[in-house]
Amino acid sequence: MKIDIILCGVGGMGALSSAAIISKAALEMGMYMKQAETHGMSQRGGDVQSHLRLSDQPIASDLIPEGECDIILSVEPMEALRYLPFLNRETGWVITNQNPFVNIPNYPEHEAVLAEVRKVKNHILFDADKIAKEVNNPKGTNMVVLGAASKYLGIDIEKLEAAVRSNFARKGDAVIDANIAALRAGRAVADQI
Amino acid sequence: MPVNAKVQYKDLISKQDLFVEQSQTSGFNKYIDGKDKSMGIVACGIAYNYLMENYRNSECPYPILKISQYPMPQELLNRLYEECGTILVLEEGQPLYERLIKGLLNKGKTIRGRLDGALPRTGELNPNLVGKALGLNVKEGFPIPSLVAPRPPKLCDGCPHFDSYTALNEAMKEHGEYKVFADIGCYTLGALPPLKAIYTTVDMGASITMAKGAAEAELRPTVAVIGDSTFTHSGMTGLLDCCVDNVPVTIMILDNGITGMTGSQKSSATGRIESICQGIGVAPEHIRVINPLPSKLEENVRVIKEELEYQGVSVIIPRRECIVWANKKRKMAKKQAK
Repeated sequence: MKIDIILCGVGGMGALSSAAIISKAALEMGMYMKQAETHGMSQRGGDVQSHLRLSDQPIASDLIPEGECDIILSVEPMEALRYLPFLNRETGWVITNQNPFVNIPNYPEHEAVLAEVRKVKNHILFDADKIAKEVNNPKGTNMVVLGAASKYLGIDIEKLEAAVRSNFARKGDAVIDANIAALRAGRAVADQI
Repeated sequence: MPVNAKVQYKDLISKQDLFVEQSQTSGFNKYIDGKDKSMGIVACGIAYNYLMENYRNSECPYPILKISQYPMPQELLNRLYEECGTILVLEEGQPLYERLIKGLLNKGKTIRGRLDGALPRTGELNPNLVGKALGLNVKEGFPIPSLVAPRPPKLCDGCPHFDSYTALNEAMKEHGEYKVFADIGCYTLGALPPLKAIYTTVDMGASITMAKGAAEAELRPTVAVIGDSTFTHSGMTGLLDCCVDNVPVTIMILDNGITGMTGSQKSSATGRIESICQGIGVAPEHIRVINPLPSKLEENVRVIKEELEYQGVSVIIPRRECIVWANKKRKMAKKQAK
C-alpha cells in the first residue's frame, strides 16, 4: 500500500499540524514515511505545502512525483488548485475547505475557484469552517478537513485520534477534546458521501 | 600563526590519500551494477532517491555509482567510465561532479547532466526531471488553472515594521528610489508591494556596510534598515566603521524586542540598543527612539526627515513589540491567570 498526500493552505491555518498528526499515526502503524515541507517566512500569510508519503514498502523520493499524488488535502480552495500538477488524474482526490482566505488583492472570483475544484472527478468540497464552529472549535478547520480525508488515508481513525492526543498534549484536555470532536465531525461528512 | 598554519596545511594535505581511500571503502559510495552498459549513472545525494523513484516497479538497467561521501571515489568512478557508453550525472545544486568528470578539455565520452541540458541548469531536481533525463515516460498531472494567483508571504496585520516603513516611505518621497539598504529578517518583506520601501538584502549586517559605501560614493541621503537582533548579531561592527569615518548615514534599527522571523527567540539587543550605539560613537542627540503606530505617523516622519538632513551618523529606533510575540504573551498571561 502506498499513499501520497499533499497538505496545503496558507501559513497559520494548520496544514503542517495535520501533516505531523498523519505522520505520527502512520509511524504508529509501522508504515514507512517521508515528509518534506516549506515553512519559515512563508508562514506569514504565504502558501505552505507539505509532501507526505506513506507506504508499507521503503520510499525512494522525498518529493511526490507529478501525476502521482493520491490526496490533496487543503484548508483553502485556491491553494488546493496550486498543486493539481501533482494529482493522479484518474484516481486522485481533492479534499478541501470551500471558504477562501483572501489576503491578496487579486484573489480570483470565489465561484470560479470552486468550479475548478469541481472539475476534478474525485473531490470533497465543503464548508469545514461551519462544521468547526458547530463543534465549538472555530480554529479546528484543519482537523475537520483531516477528518474528512481520514476515510481515504488507510489509517485507522483511532490511530489518528491518538496522534491528535499526543500532538496537542501540551495544550491540555480541552484543546485535545475540541480537536477530536472536529476530526470526528469531518469524518462524518466523508461517511455521508 | 603562520608557522603553525604551514605545518598544519602539510598535515592536512598528507591526509588526502586517506580521505580518497575512505571514500572508496567506507560503503557510503556504492557501485551498483546494471546489465545495460550503454549508460552509467552518477547519482549524488538526494538525486539517488529521485532516480530510484523512477524504478520503483522495476530494476534500474544501468550501472549506478551512488555518491554519499566526498572526495570523489576515483576507482569506482573509473570503473563506471570504462564500462559504460555515456555518463549521466544527477546532482542537486551546482554541477560539481559533472564538471570534475568532464574535465576542462572535455576530450572523452559524452557526459550528460545540467551542463548539456539533460537536466535544467538551475532549480531543484525532482523525480520527474530525473525521469525525463532517463528518457522515461513521465506521468503528468493537471495543469495549474490560470486563475490561481501567487500568494507571497507578507507582514502580519498590526506588525510594527509596517508603520516604520510607512513613515520611512513618506520621509523618502522627495528623495526618490534606491536609497534604502536593508537586511535579513521579517522586515525584508518590506521590499514587496504595497510597501516597496527597501532595495537590497544581501547578508546579515550588509545594510549598514552597503549604506556606508553608498554614502562614501556621494549618495544622499543614505538609509540602512536592520532589525534589533540582526544588529547585535553582525550590524554593530559596520556601525563602528560609520562612526570612525563619520559618514552621513541614517540607520533605522527596528526594535520589536524579539527575533521574529525564526519564531520569537530572545533578542540580545533588548534594553541595550541606545547604550551600544552611544558606546560605538553615535552622538546621543542623534539616537532617536520613535513609536511606530499609525497615530504617530506625522511625528515619526518629522523625526526621520530631521535625521536625513544630518550630515553624520544617526540612528533611529522604531520601538514596538512584535505583534505575534505580544499576542503570545497575552495568551500565556491569560492561561496563568486561570
